[in-house]
Amino acid sequence: MKDFDLKLPDTLEAAVGELPAEYSRDGAQVLAGGQDIVTVMKDDIEQPAALVSLQRLGLDGMQWDERGGLTIGATVTIQTLAEEASIERGLPALREAARSVGSPQIRSQGTLGGNLNQRPRCPYYRHPSVSCFKKGGSVCLAEFGFNKYAAIFGGGPSYYSHPSDLATVLVMLGATATIAGPGGERQVPLAELYVLPDQALDTETVLRPDEILTSVSIPAPAADARSSYLKYKERASYDFALAAVAVSVNRGDDGVVTDARVVLGGVAPKPWEVPAAAAALVGKAMAPEAWTAAGEAAVADADPLEHNGYKVHLVKGLLFRALEALV
Amino acid sequence: MSSSSRGAQASEPSWGKRSDLDVLNRDIPRVDGPVKATGEAIYTHDVRLPGMLWARVLVHPVPRAEIESIDLEVASEMPGVVYVEALKEPGDAVRYLGDDAVLAVVAAETPDQAADALRAIKVKARRLAPVVTPAQALEDGAPVVSRRRDADSNVGRANERGDEAVADAALAGAVAVVERTFEIPIQHHVCLETHGHVVQPAPDDEQVTVYASTQSVGGTPRGLARTLGRDASKIRVLTPHMGGGFGSKFGPGLEGAMAARVADQTGRPVHLMLTRSDEFAIAGNRSGSRQTLKVGARSDGRLVGLKLDADKHGGVSGGSLPGPPYIYTVADDSAVASRIRSVFTATDGSRAMRAPGHPQASFAMEAAVDELAYLLGIDLVEMRIRNLDSEVHHRQLRRVAEEIGWGEHPHRDRPGRAENGRAVGIGFGVSVWGPGGRSSRCDVTIRPDGSVVSATATQDLGTGARTYVAAIVAEELGLAVNMIEARIGDSDLPPSVTSGGSVTTGSSAPAIKDAAHKAREGLEALLVDVLEAPVGSYVWRNGQVSVRGDSTRSLPWIAVCALLREPLLAQGEFRDFLHEGRIHGAQAAKVEVDTLTGRVKVLKMVACQDQGLPLNRLALRSQINGGMVQALSYGMLEQRVFDEQDGFLLSDNLDLYKIAGAQEMPEMVALIDDEDERPSVCGMAEAPVIPGHSAIAGAIHNACGARLTRMPFTADNVLETLYGKI
Amino acid sequence: MREMDPSSGEPSAISRRSFLKGATQVAAAGGIIQATAAGAPAEVVDPEVETLSGTSSLELLVNGKARSVEVQPRTTLLHALRTHMDPPLTGTKEVCGTGSCGACTVLIDGQPAYSCLSLAVTCAGRPVTTVEGFGSADAMSDVQQAFCDKDGMMCGFCTPGFVVATHAALDRSPKASLDELKYELSGNFCRCGTYPHVFDAAAAVQEDRARGEEGR
Repeated sequence: MKDFDLKLPDTLEAAVGELPAEYSRDGAQVLAGGQDIVTVMKDDIEQPAALVSLQRLGLDGMQWDERGGLTIGATVTIQTLAEEASIERGLPALREAARSVGSPQIRSQGTLGGNLNQRPRCPYYRHPSVSCFKKGGSVCLAEFGFNKYAAIFGGGPSYYSHPSDLATVLVMLGATATIAGPGGERQVPLAELYVLPDQALDTETVLRPDEILTSVSIPAPAADARSSYLKYKERASYDFALAAVAVSVNRGDDGVVTDARVVLGGVAPKPWEVPAAAAALVGKAMAPEAWTAAGEAAVADADPLEHNGYKVHLVKGLLFRALEALV
Repeated sequence: MSSSSRGAQASEPSWGKRSDLDVLNRDIPRVDGPVKATGEAIYTHDVRLPGMLWARVLVHPVPRAEIESIDLEVASEMPGVVYVEALKEPGDAVRYLGDDAVLAVVAAETPDQAADALRAIKVKARRLAPVVTPAQALEDGAPVVSRRRDADSNVGRANERGDEAVADAALAGAVAVVERTFEIPIQHHVCLETHGHVVQPAPDDEQVTVYASTQSVGGTPRGLARTLGRDASKIRVLTPHMGGGFGSKFGPGLEGAMAARVADQTGRPVHLMLTRSDEFAIAGNRSGSRQTLKVGARSDGRLVGLKLDADKHGGVSGGSLPGPPYIYTVADDSAVASRIRSVFTATDGSRAMRAPGHPQASFAMEAAVDELAYLLGIDLVEMRIRNLDSEVHHRQLRRVAEEIGWGEHPHRDRPGRAENGRAVGIGFGVSVWGPGGRSSRCDVTIRPDGSVVSATATQDLGTGARTYVAAIVAEELGLAVNMIEARIGDSDLPPSVTSGGSVTTGSSAPAIKDAAHKAREGLEALLVDVLEAPVGSYVWRNGQVSVRGDSTRSLPWIAVCALLREPLLAQGEFRDFLHEGRIHGAQAAKVEVDTLTGRVKVLKMVACQDQGLPLNRLALRSQINGGMVQALSYGMLEQRVFDEQDGFLLSDNLDLYKIAGAQEMPEMVALIDDEDERPSVCGMAEAPVIPGHSAIAGAIHNACGARLTRMPFTADNVLETLYGKI
Repeated sequence: MREMDPSSGEPSAISRRSFLKGATQVAAAGGIIQATAAGAPAEVVDPEVETLSGTSSLELLVNGKARSVEVQPRTTLLHALRTHMDPPLTGTKEVCGTGSCGACTVLIDGQPAYSCLSLAVTCAGRPVTTVEGFGSADAMSDVQQAFCDKDGMMCGFCTPGFVVATHAALDRSPKASLDELKYELSGNFCRCGTYPHVFDAAAAVQEDRARGEEGR
């Protein structure tokens, strides 16, 4: 890791002022819990001349509103989301996603903002000696190389899969991010926070280099909604998602599904919402036939590479298991 | 100092009757537990010497290249940089990703400065076709990658055994025949302490001190003698603690030679530990293989014919694979034919790793046994018993079967079926090992103040060796283990063996026993005049010595030692009759398979091992459990990944090279086979690591009918086996 | 500041702006970091934003003692402990350097952390506990003693990290079931395969502590 300057601003405005308007590999970047950026720097993927710490900005608060919506500061730790009793009651899928992140050490130090802004895990991207497409190389080496973990949706020209568990569940929950920049604040729905590789290479989000994600607001879920987050890890201990599903289902008094939402993680360069899978559930009873149909709808547009076709089966199976568990 | 060898030896040492043992064959907490549990234990990694330099090596990132230039100028002028050396010149080739890919070494005042200097070295190289897969090595016109300069092919000479025609005839007459091709990946050792040394130079007439993370304290001085230009006796190697070896740390390697050279050149102590990525690239591995195995059986399950065609994948080394029929027997030996060859790639050479070749052979053979049993409708345990010679295996299989609930399992002679996508299965495997034993020495010193030192130049890889160095002496002298100081990990101590092939216990424990026995007789010689009984008629127990049959004639330990006018030195040596040469094991695994997601969860593993006399039952269970854990990790997760086009080792880190963690752990039962009453001891490093992954694969097959022919058993493998590749 | 309970009926009176500002007051931490005469002075680039640049002297609170150490912003807590302190604290091990194995686990503010991913300068003013802080070979903690009794170690290289992680797990979840223990220890990896013995050790501590509670 190259040395850098550490900036310790006391205000958000000052923090934003330390960040560059244009991306460069050695431009200043944001430091929250450090659990991803330090690995990115150790592998010489980015070599920022400065890190701007959020440590003194007090972005570590949480606030429920009277309707049951929740606003979470960017530096709230993942552990807090995993163990906070009110989240377990009010937003169980968020808790499950938080519990599934990394390890106790990562959850204890890692933050919401850091998790949402973490960089891809593609082994080509992470290898210090490899010049992959995202690092200025001429081609995505995963496309015709090792792509077991790569995206089956939304790939091209890069094929990384987005690693964030919290992003997947927050898209499903209809959350909105608040972003501070030189021109003030703006709100961006989580579903629009991430971009596909054909839209940007230097980044995976719509955040500009001089913006800071400061908080995320989750609207109150519908009273009759049941939701869950199910993550498949190749290794049960401490691993990223091979695939994950965030699902929410509302049912009428007769048990028939009235509304549903299905978002996939670990299978696309961003959280991948599949409205067709949700549509396959609406109007049906929660039963294996509907779950299988939803799975088929979820993977209808999958476009796997040579070594990740198994994710098609996996997504179907995982969605089946997630829906089964909601009954 | 008096020496006990002066007196006539009254009797031969013996391990004694098990019922008489107070220390051995019990749970003995390891003597270095407290320093390890508190972080006080100093590993090579932790050695800090005044004026010490921090050294690093630069490894070329791809296996094959022609070096155009290595520019050291910027690096050499960086702050704190003391030493920079290129190991290749323009025009030199990098022939494989291993020690041949080390381009430069740097040393600096701080670790960060060394890392900065490494980053500043500018290398220009022309990359050549990587040849990282056996398929690439076997292509027409593939570059020859062998370490032998005169080699003209990437295929080694085949080792052919048996008569193929005889085997074919026997297979033609078999009632059931199975033929499968198995792909077994290369596994890394993943020693948590990487390979490395700290070298403290010294004037010619003094000893150079080398701290080494090694399995061979005794062999390392010879390994560094030439580099340091001095006799091995002028090099002292210290390994107070070491963080795992598993067969990969037998010699100083290039990294040791570099540490020694930089120390020699700079006159300063040098700390050179490989980084984790270096370790994956150049510190060895367990070879992989591709095996096509065809086996036939009679209707009663007896194997009647076998053919094996196998390629070993050991990078630039040959790899290991024992010949068939692995552990099992075929009714007529002449109906076994095999052809085993090495296919070389431009990747790091394989090294010994716990039971080299055996887990690979086990994987194919156990699968064939399972499949034949199913074809014939024979119970998996019964099928094995019919084809294994040893009664020990028979009883061990029955024991693990009982422990894992085989009797109540619903499908014992056919695979089960998933219900709602969930299936449970059980599988089995067996092992053998010949741990051996050879020349080793030990000194036991008893001082007039009652203190006792047991010393031998062995090393404790985590096996518990240090603990039995004390415990064997404690047993002989009737003392508590903590009254004996165990000294190991120092090449100046009486020589012992390199720790490989489970040979350490079988070599050093007899020497320790012999020394302790001589020490005891030396003390008894002093007691003849005091307690008036001849040598050999004393009982040493609970810190007291008494005359056998007359407990009124006794002395406390401290009073006995007070009779010494000078320290008593007893020199023990290896005694062949105190060690054991052949051991057996059986394992069972129970898994749950989710056929919708491909998830395999190992629910339970059971191992039963014989071993002669267990020196320390606690450490023995640790070794057996550890073997099962490593096999589980090998089978379920481990995957070395090269980019095939450019040759980057992508899995040079613990993110992609996944080893098993806490949540992979099933219920584990390590059964010590106490029906084995042999009065001898042996090591337990290899045997328990052999069959676990095979038993898991068998359990997956038994659960849902999916026979996985490659490893690891991850979702892609399970789902593609069940539903085909998309 | 934390208003956690949605059922409490507390109105969300504060705007998001004040939500952030309000929290600022809570979190403003003292800067123990300072430039040293010996090392390169900390250059102040922007007068309004405190900047650490180059080598500076840092006071860390390790195992209850103030330890002065010269670091750069990039210096990890792991390296500060192992190579920058004099005398060094080498109980904390470096195995992967990328937060993938747990050998470097310490507590920061009582929470488990990979010290290889924690920048030393961000630990100023936050208590750090390493394996050495729990006990010594002569006076082991209950967890350390249980690791010895149950043989929760072989080569011992992962052991310091496991000891710290086990302390953290049992603090966080004193009555953890076996499955919960595995979950809480899932950030630490062992190659020798000591896991079942580590679980035995943790269970023994739970029993002992429960017995202690009863006796009180």
